[in-house]
Amino acid sequence: MSQTTVITAAPKIDAWGGGRSPYNVSYGKMMIWFFLLSDALTFGAFLISYGTTRFFSAVWPDPNQVFRAFPFLEGHSVPLLFVSLMTFILIMSSVTMVLAVHAGHYGDKKNVAKWLLWTIIGGICFLSCQAWEWTHMYGECIKVWSNNPADVQHGLWGSFTDVNTPVEKFREFFSPTKAAVQHVLDTQPLVAMQSTHNFFNYFFTITGFHGGHVTSGVIFNILILVNTVNGVYERRGHYEMVEKIGLYWHFVDLVWVFVFTCFYLL
Amino acid sequence: MSGHNKHSEQFYYEGDQSKLYSGIMQHHTDVNSAESREQVKRIWKIFWILLAITIVEVGLGMTYSHSWPKALVIFIFLSLTLVKAGFIVAVFMHLGDEIKSFLVTVLIPLVLFVWFIIAFLADGSFWLHMNNTSTARHATEQVEN
Repeated sequence: MSQTTVITAAPKIDAWGGGRSPYNVSYGKMMIWFFLLSDALTFGAFLISYGTTRFFSAVWPDPNQVFRAFPFLEGHSVPLLFVSLMTFILIMSSVTMVLAVHAGHYGDKKNVAKWLLWTIIGGICFLSCQAWEWTHMYGECIKVWSNNPADVQHGLWGSFTDVNTPVEKFREFFSPTKAAVQHVLDTQPLVAMQSTHNFFNYFFTITGFHGGHVTSGVIFNILILVNTVNGVYERRGHYEMVEKIGLYWHFVDLVWVFVFTCFYLL
Repeated sequence: MSGHNKHSEQFYYEGDQSKLYSGIMQHHTDVNSAESREQVKRIWKIFWILLAITIVEVGLGMTYSHSWPKALVIFIFLSLTLVKAGFIVAVFMHLGDEIKSFLVTVLIPLVLFVWFIIAFLADGSFWLHMNNTSTARHATEQVEN
């Protein structure tokens, strides 16, 4: 089969007649989709496991009580504001990524480089926010677990495993207005402590796994930016690699949409 | 295959075949064409929709999510999340622009999630039920004995 025939053919096909990919996509692009599918199952397993644990817990920390801090606004209670900022940054970086992919469709090297650079900046901003939030949450957990700075070295991220921990140390994470929740805190403090422990374990595991994806996404973006600037894709004749990394980046944004709902809203 | 030697990095990164299918829109050339501008406009439109949905979600989370019926709040949040996910996949990831057979091939395995979610959440709530009710506790004890 000569390649020129295939290139000149390039019709929009509905039924497969053989001689070309039945999906009208390259092997690489199809495989990134199947990788993302498997990654979706991994994240899905994490989130469903979180949901199962939450369903069998009599009480669960209230996101409005846990996530209410903002940099430079110590002492103010601003629930959900910081995570809204993080969500905005990630959506914004998704837009700059799709604009880079769009520029790639037209072989517009300069704009591909420009929008990739903005995407990288967006990704780094998101990671910085996450670093702040993790540090803050870690500080909260240590503060809750012990007031003694010497104990910090014994604390694990979000671990509440000491049965002697008084209930007042984790009451602040629960809704102060719901009578049923307060009743459990008073009568079964260990149940509430186990919930707190599970909540923070899932929080750090899932946002950590997502943050790991963002980190590798930023690295991939830097690699394809270098390739774009060096003219690798221009010589190759297409910017499909930008498209493939773009799919990965959008997937990371997609996962955040679900993490945001499961951890911060519900 | 002699073309591979000409640009060796092309050979190492990906085979020539990606040239054949590299995007449905690959045949375009003018970035300032009306069609291109239309695409960019659509991207920004989706951005504003995503932003508006997020603002509604956060607004609801800060205000009514504790006073409205829990089932209603969960339904609203999950619906809005799925709408956002749909826009991202269809427009940003261009899955809506792929041919139908590919779209179906990618989406069908996700149907597994319907079973996963129902099975595991039901299991979780039954566990809580067992912990909370003496009759259920007796039932499990009988099974164990």
